[in-house]
Amino acid sequence: MEWYKLIAVAALFICIMVFAIQFIRLIKLGVPKDLSKRDGDVKGAVIYSFTNAMAPAQKESAYMHLPTYAAGLVYHMGTFAALLLFVLLMIFSFAGIMLPVFISTVVSGAFLFTSLSGIGILFKRILNRELRSLSGFDDYISNILTSGIQLVSALYLLFPSVEIFYFLTSALLFIWLPLGKTKHLMYFFFARFHLGFFYGWRGTWPQKQH
Amino acid sequence: MEKIDKEKREKAIDLLRSKSDSKLITHLNSCVRCGLCAGSCMYYITMKEAKYIPAKKIDLVSSIYRRYCTLAGKTVPALVNAKDLDESMAEEMIDSLYGSCTMCGRCVKHCSIGVDIPYIVKKGREMLATMDMVPKTLQATVDAAINTGNNMGIPTVEFVDTIKWMEEELIDEMQDDKARIPLDEIDKDIFYTLNPREPKFFPLSISAMAKVLYAAEASWTLSSKYYDVTNYGFFNANMAEATQIAKNLYDEIHKLRGKRLILGECGHGSRANRWDGPNYLKKAYDFDTITAVELIGGYIRDGKIKLDKSLNKELYTIHDPCNLVRNGGMLEELRFVVKSSVANFIEMNPFGNDNFCCGGGGGALAMSEYNDRRLKIGEIKADQIRKTGAKVVITPCHNCVDQLLQLNHTYKLGVQIKTISEVVADALIIIKTN
Repeated sequence: MEWYKLIAVAALFICIMVFAIQFIRLIKLGVPKDLSKRDGDVKGAVIYSFTNAMAPAQKESAYMHLPTYAAGLVYHMGTFAALLLFVLLMIFSFAGIMLPVFISTVVSGAFLFTSLSGIGILFKRILNRELRSLSGFDDYISNILTSGIQLVSALYLLFPSVEIFYFLTSALLFIWLPLGKTKHLMYFFFARFHLGFFYGWRGTWPQKQH
Repeated sequence: MEKIDKEKREKAIDLLRSKSDSKLITHLNSCVRCGLCAGSCMYYITMKEAKYIPAKKIDLVSSIYRRYCTLAGKTVPALVNAKDLDESMAEEMIDSLYGSCTMCGRCVKHCSIGVDIPYIVKKGREMLATMDMVPKTLQATVDAAINTGNNMGIPTVEFVDTIKWMEEELIDEMQDDKARIPLDEIDKDIFYTLNPREPKFFPLSISAMAKVLYAAEASWTLSSKYYDVTNYGFFNANMAEATQIAKNLYDEIHKLRGKRLILGECGHGSRANRWDGPNYLKKAYDFDTITAVELIGGYIRDGKIKLDKSLNKELYTIHDPCNLVRNGGMLEELRFVVKSSVANFIEMNPFGNDNFCCGGGGGALAMSEYNDRRLKIGEIKADQIRKTGAKVVITPCHNCVDQLLQLNHTYKLGVQIKTISEVVADALIIIKTN
């Protein structure tokens, strides 16, 4: 295996290990220990937290900011797809499978689009005075790396000559994922769980009926 | 600002080092600073300054967490927005966490991730409390509760006098010697609690509730010493003090052998006693704990009280106290009681779980140094009320009542502010039985 692929795989391994440690730690802690008397449907609330409560109509962060919300959605889909692509490319590399040109072109186009969404969000952060005041290096690095991997994926699918650049960018992303705010990749799910637990315990979600 | 004592600073940071609080670890690591929470916060909406964005407020706490509790923050702090806990940071925390957030939780529901922002704000307050940096005005309120049994420092003699006076009035009104406001009686079904603002400023709300309890033929009592439903320890976030206040009430219920704790009309008091109290004391309560809203709702449903809606003819609206509705699940029950008691009702927009805080929560009413800010953010609530065209605003929270009265005056709304028991008492049909 080429040195840059080895670096990328090692970085992915480190990334998975760090996330796994954090994940196991949180799972081990279990559900919050609440000594008050439950007055609602926690399970229903947790399900609601991951489903209807995520609907754009339920959140001002979505329906009051539709362009940003839509860009964010596309951007996140692109990030997940880029992570999946890396794994697939490694498998294909071992199995000697080549992606058909048509598929490569379509997927590349999709990545170009998703990366532009990420870059758009980055520009918003740079141009908006208030967002800028909220931001630090982490915010810029996280965006550049996640938008970057999508852009580089798009290029790599069309121009295999950028292979080294692709794998090194991937390696950087994998190292950064559990360090920067990108770690919300995992914490997001726990946050939604706790949100559901909190509102469910008190009967806010689903609304308690007497 | 005074220099932070090193030992206290370490204790404050230790609060973030918890390895057993999954919720804390999760929420400290979840915010992506997208800033979309800004439009859900009344402070930001009215003031339009970046420091009021909820994400900015909690980043003060999470940046300290990253600095002292993560490898990246310890080694390359600048890269991960990790910051030192120094005097200037503490000063910013005081202004942002005590002075610019009522912990209403409106931002939580609308956060793109689901970060429990008030939870982190409260943790930040806890850190400040550990460093003895609670605003003096708020601390004075907590001290009064610890030292006298109620947050307004009302002497027992004065309280007993007020209750006796209200009882005489009630007996006169009902023409019945059984229309009592019992004090310190044992083995009663209901141990009722009050917000000290009631005996101090609004004694008629006590007689209104007493009238409801009389109509329901309830077996109840008040304590003459520990009747205070509030717990400002919830706001200053000094856990030892919050625990002491909760314990005083817990012990008093046992002393009087009360069977059910009924939380008087107070949003944070209900939250602090019902949801947080057992966790402060680290034991499940061995008595039922419900709010006055649920008690009255039960009476209506069980036919223990009869109401005539036509006695409340004006147009009414509800201000939903954050700690009872969004953070307490009372949305439907509150509406059931109100709609059973008034002929004309209109909702605010938004209402219920999306409702805006009145601005008096989070201990804001006690912190006079932030009065201007509190009244400014209340403009949102004032506009909401004005748009309904309602003549009466009902809210089952005396802190909200106080803030709404001030908004009524400041923004010339020309409305009446009533508690739920007052509205229900006005609609009561008293059936005399021999």
